[in-house]
Amino acid sequence: MTRSAEAAFLLGASALASFGVAMANLAGGGGVDAQVALTFLVFLIAFGSLHLALRQWAPRASFYLLPLVAIITAVGLTMIYRLDPDRAGLQRWWLLIAAALAVGLLFAVRSTGLEPLRRYRYLLLLGSLVLLLLPLLPTDWSIPLRGKTVNGSRLWVEFIAGPIGIQFQPGEIAKLLLVVFLASYLAERHTVLASGTRTIGRLRLVEPRQLVPVLVAWTASFGVLVYQRDLGASLLLFAVFLTLLYMATGRAAYPIIGTGMFFVGAFFAWQAFSHVERRVIAWLRPFSDFDGAGYQIAQGLFAMGSGSLAGSGVGLGRPELIPFAQTDFLFAAIGEELGLAGAVVVLCAFALLTAVGFGIALRSRDLFRKLLAAGLTFVLGLQTFLIIGGVVRVLPLTGITLPFMSYGGSSLVSNMVLIAVLARLSHEEPT
Amino acid sequence: MPALILTLLKLIFVALLFLFVWQISRAITSHISIGVTRTSTKRSKELVLIRADDRPGETYKVVDVLMLGRSPQADIVVDDPYASEFHMRFVGGDEGLVLHDLGSTNGTYVNGRRVTAPQVLVKGDAVQVGKTVLEVR
Repeated sequence: MTRSAEAAFLLGASALASFGVAMANLAGGGGVDAQVALTFLVFLIAFGSLHLALRQWAPRASFYLLPLVAIITAVGLTMIYRLDPDRAGLQRWWLLIAAALAVGLLFAVRSTGLEPLRRYRYLLLLGSLVLLLLPLLPTDWSIPLRGKTVNGSRLWVEFIAGPIGIQFQPGEIAKLLLVVFLASYLAERHTVLASGTRTIGRLRLVEPRQLVPVLVAWTASFGVLVYQRDLGASLLLFAVFLTLLYMATGRAAYPIIGTGMFFVGAFFAWQAFSHVERRVIAWLRPFSDFDGAGYQIAQGLFAMGSGSLAGSGVGLGRPELIPFAQTDFLFAAIGEELGLAGAVVVLCAFALLTAVGFGIALRSRDLFRKLLAAGLTFVLGLQTFLIIGGVVRVLPLTGITLPFMSYGGSSLVSNMVLIAVLARLSHEEPT
Repeated sequence: MPALILTLLKLIFVALLFLFVWQISRAITSHISIGVTRTSTKRSKELVLIRADDRPGETYKVVDVLMLGRSPQADIVVDDPYASEFHMRFVGGDEGLVLHDLGSTNGTYVNGRRVTAPQVLVKGDAVQVGKTVLEVR
């Protein structure tokens, strides 16, 4: 495959996005209108500029990242448009902003590479913590940067500039910074964390002092759960930390101990917090409280069930009956209107994207880059797994966004930046 | 809009999605298999296995040159006070796998004997740098 083939794929994905929007229009009795052209144009500008940025500043980057992201975004935008055309319009703006930031990143590191990320790791950690704590700002003070509670989770920050209020989730970016910090920290300290000789059978134990970082991560995740009431981010944080620790040291004791600590934390959370308990009951028995906690999951199951093999067709189902169909339950909407076939193709695209990311990690030239690529890919894959798992009732629902698909600017921006870093990492592979 | 046309459009849409993802996976497969055939035509490279305590079982494939040292720029980075920044290198050529010591302070040992000139390695040789032991496979 070549860069030109990549461009052809991106053109194809843009065409498919406008095809999807046109289908939603036709099903609603409308015709091919400006929305169709606008969608095509926005996709072309966003992915075209990313493509040109790769040509210019990272010519050896992987060819497969952008086409996969484009097709996932295309299906996502089709479904958002079908559910709420106004939000699709906003999402198109976010797509342009996300692409612009990703291009900006590629430009900024064009000559330095990703070395500064390694060097300024404590600054990045500090930035990550500040971003994570930003939503805890008071909601009603005079400074136009305020915390905001949405649906019981304290994840939002509202920036007020005159009449416009822009809302975003700083935690999405904090997640990326944290992965960069961990990759840089563990690349340097992995020998210390992997030393020790005591064993039980074939399992080498870790020294008590080596458990300190695990405890810190556990406390931080639990803090997110308690103060921000966000199950998903808490889980993601802890899982990313354990995975990177395991990848850096190759010591199975860390994930084993970590999983044990996870279950202890989960048990306490279940006992102590009603919102966790509600989620678990809605997961195990969604129909026992159909009108209450289980309603969303139950509606999602109905939607996917009625979608059957080939789906009802875009605009012909009733996915608007599912609460938060544009964000948490977009996958259920896809299952209803594009059927199992559409859901499977989306899963395939995510699986390929994850595989491409881990491939980049395997070929990277040093431990920092390996851990960074693997960590970022893991974040992407785990988010997908957690939310789709929540929708199809494999896991309790965590309210994480589906990367590149769910409506939401912060998530789109942070995931696009993630892809830009992966692209740059693949450019820096030894030939 | 008649339901038949909408159903057709939906099927075309999903089919195109499959075609798109299928084509990308085909491209990825060919990318990987090109790598495999390329490695199999150059038969000179052999596998090296690290037995250092920190990274047991890590294997490296010598394509042409593989640098070992303490420097982060080396291909095999060893975190060992007895290793030099650029300690030694493996060269895979027509004559097989050759070890070059790069004037390291504490030396490189093959099967316990210090290397003084470039040495051709054979399968089963143990290469020692400081505490790090590598085995040629």
